[in-house]
Amino acid sequence: MVTKLRNISKYSLTKFIAFIMVVALITTVLIQLIYVSYLDINPESLLVKEYKDSQTEFVNEFNYAIHQTYDFINDFPRHIPNDLDYLYYIKTDGMENTNSKIYTKEFFASHKDAFFAYEKGVITLGESTNPSIVYSYPADENMTVYIAFPYEYIEEQQNIWEAGRAKLIPIAIISIASIVVALILIVYLIIVTGRKTQDDELHLSRVDRIYSEILIAGFIPLFVLWFGIMAHLPFYGGINNSSLSINQIYNMIFAGAVTAIVTALCGVLLLSIVRKIKARRFIKHSITYRVFHSISEFIKSFFDGSRFSKFPLTKSLYQRQIIFIVASAALVFFTFLFILIPPLILIPPILEALVIYWYIKYNNITFEEINKGFNESLEEQMKSERMKIDLITNVSHDLKTPLTSIISYVDLLSKEEDLSDSARDYVNIIAEKSDRLKNIVADLFDLAKSTSGDINLDFETLDIKRLIAQTLGDMEDDIEKSGLQIKTKFPENPVNIVSDGKKLYRVFQNILDNALKYSLKGTRIYVELEEQNGKAIATVKNTADYEMDFTANEILQRFNRGDQSRTTEGSGLGLSIAESFTKVCGGDFKVDIDGDMFKVIITFG
Amino acid sequence: MDTARILVVDDDKEIANAIDKLLTLEGYEVVKAYNGLEALDALVLNNIQLILLDVMMPKLDGLSTTLKVREKKNIPIIILSAKSEDSDKILGLSMGADDYITKPFNPQELVARVKSQLRRYMHLGDMANSIHSSQILVGGLCLDKDSKELIVDGEPVKLTPTEYKIMDLLMTNVGVVFSAEQIYERVWEEPAYSVENTVMVHIRRIREKIEINPKEPKYLKVVWGIGYKIEKY
Repeated sequence: MVTKLRNISKYSLTKFIAFIMVVALITTVLIQLIYVSYLDINPESLLVKEYKDSQTEFVNEFNYAIHQTYDFINDFPRHIPNDLDYLYYIKTDGMENTNSKIYTKEFFASHKDAFFAYEKGVITLGESTNPSIVYSYPADENMTVYIAFPYEYIEEQQNIWEAGRAKLIPIAIISIASIVVALILIVYLIIVTGRKTQDDELHLSRVDRIYSEILIAGFIPLFVLWFGIMAHLPFYGGINNSSLSINQIYNMIFAGAVTAIVTALCGVLLLSIVRKIKARRFIKHSITYRVFHSISEFIKSFFDGSRFSKFPLTKSLYQRQIIFIVASAALVFFTFLFILIPPLILIPPILEALVIYWYIKYNNITFEEINKGFNESLEEQMKSERMKIDLITNVSHDLKTPLTSIISYVDLLSKEEDLSDSARDYVNIIAEKSDRLKNIVADLFDLAKSTSGDINLDFETLDIKRLIAQTLGDMEDDIEKSGLQIKTKFPENPVNIVSDGKKLYRVFQNILDNALKYSLKGTRIYVELEEQNGKAIATVKNTADYEMDFTANEILQRFNRGDQSRTTEGSGLGLSIAESFTKVCGGDFKVDIDGDMFKVIITFG
Repeated sequence: MDTARILVVDDDKEIANAIDKLLTLEGYEVVKAYNGLEALDALVLNNIQLILLDVMMPKLDGLSTTLKVREKKNIPIIILSAKSEDSDKILGLSMGADDYITKPFNPQELVARVKSQLRRYMHLGDMANSIHSSQILVGGLCLDKDSKELIVDGEPVKLTPTEYKIMDLLMTNVGVVFSAEQIYERVWEEPAYSVENTVMVHIRRIREKIEINPKEPKYLKVVWGIGYKIEKY
């Protein structure tokens, strides 16, 4: 029920009817006022029941009578009219006059409703005479004045008064009721304007596209027009025979039409303003706001970065800084200039304050954005690192599991007794290759883990001299097998560094392995260690048994092997692992190729 | 001993079958399970002497299974895992496993490790009870100072006098790291000068005798850049 009512209240038709009613009611009130003016009824009769109490009528009349009576004294006896509405009696030194047949004070005083007496400087009023009647009187103590209005006259006037009042009261009631209803409807329209039944949104109409100032200014011509027309409306006098003349009727129709049009237009303007206020667009959709806003936007655009949005953030910081300095300098200049024009002197500081505010505000926003971008890229990097590590772990597992089966079944196969010779050869090859594959997978996993940084390191103070010696001892069998000689040159004292021994062992193992594999027969491998400026520098030099047609960088590329044709053993990752492990252990890894000499330099410190 | 029953647990059926065949060829009886829960059931139903356990398995993983088994039994557990990091090994061993083999494994090494664990379990079980004051026990190693011999997983190993002395020094001080010079001075009883290589070569020889995989020693370890030690078990 309530919702239904709410819906009805939002119907366009309801609103239209309400609007028409407001216009009609206001027009009615105006026409009635004009009508009242034609009736020539004193509006006071609405409030004052008795004619004798009326301020605007009887009080004026009475006072006029008093003054007129005084004038008689001065003009006596020439200008005394014969048709006076009242009775008077005047007496001064040597002169006495009256228009009453009986001129005793008692007779005059018997007119209780309208009696005035001035005698020996004392004023006496009738018993039921309105005390507020007299507001000015003569002050001559020798004078005696009696004034009274006859009962017949008062009664007659009272009848006219009452007749007017009888006509006025219904008109007044109707007018007041009309105004009340019109106000209620206006309030209703203000509430529902812009609302529609289907939703709770505020709907603006086409009128609302007019700027707010124009809407407000629109009232001025309307009011000027209306007042102008009303002021110049011919009056055509009072009513004859209690009915309106043709001219008067035309007059009323014309005034009514003008009022209706003006009211309707004012209503349209008012409701548009109300809608805009409701939509919070009244200020924003004004010319003043637009102008100031676009000016401030223009200035602001130099600060908020939108003018330099195509530049990187740091660049926009730089631009803003330049603009800030230039603007500040200009404002300082204007401050000096405006010393000559004192009223304007406050403008530059205010603008400067604004510029400083913007400068700080947008700088902070830019910093925030830079920070955000930085954090995002950091997060992104962390995420991709994590993904890489997960990928390595998963791929490693997925490679190792089938490889386990292959190796196990190859082993079982090799244990079969009734294999042909060739089959046994094949099985041996598979065994060999699957073993190599196993090493490659392990190396790959090591390398991937160390390059992605997801590697457990166990740092401790160790003697790198001892470590190299241990590695050489550990590899003695391989060295002997290779037939190559190892020449070592170590310093006397231990060379202590902080590193991960196991990883470092892998580094030297791989480097020596490489040197043993690719050295020319009969040559020597030089393993040297020296301490320089607190740095431990280990070098491994060997003479290659093939032409090294690659650069130092190329050899460190993953999967690159010195000699492309060698496919016998190893994963080709040895040096890459050595490099990567050296780096995670906190060292520097360098390869130097000079003719046939291959040199690895590892520096710690 | 030859009829020892081994429980093989791996969610990859081919691997479980391969291990089954390998061990059957060596004369062991094999029971298979494909996840931790099945393994626990199999353990109740059969008289199992050793467990080979994969780590990454559905339902109940290898490490949790190890913990569950250890609540009741002290039979040897060998973990088989594709995870090869030292931290993974340490985690597995600290959960109560006796050995840790990384996939892909060498079948011969697997068999050797199974044998070693079984020997230790069966023989050392009563040895531990009757240990003399002259005997030092570290994991599967037992150094007898009276007979001057080293027994690995119940089997005596032939060591040269120098090798024995090195083992004596390191096993008497389990977990302590000795530098090559310290070892040389104590064993050779001569001043040490440029002895790293000499000691290292001896260490390698000993490893080849006592370790199943000398490249990945379980007992005799090189502390790179510092020295040598016997790992504490």
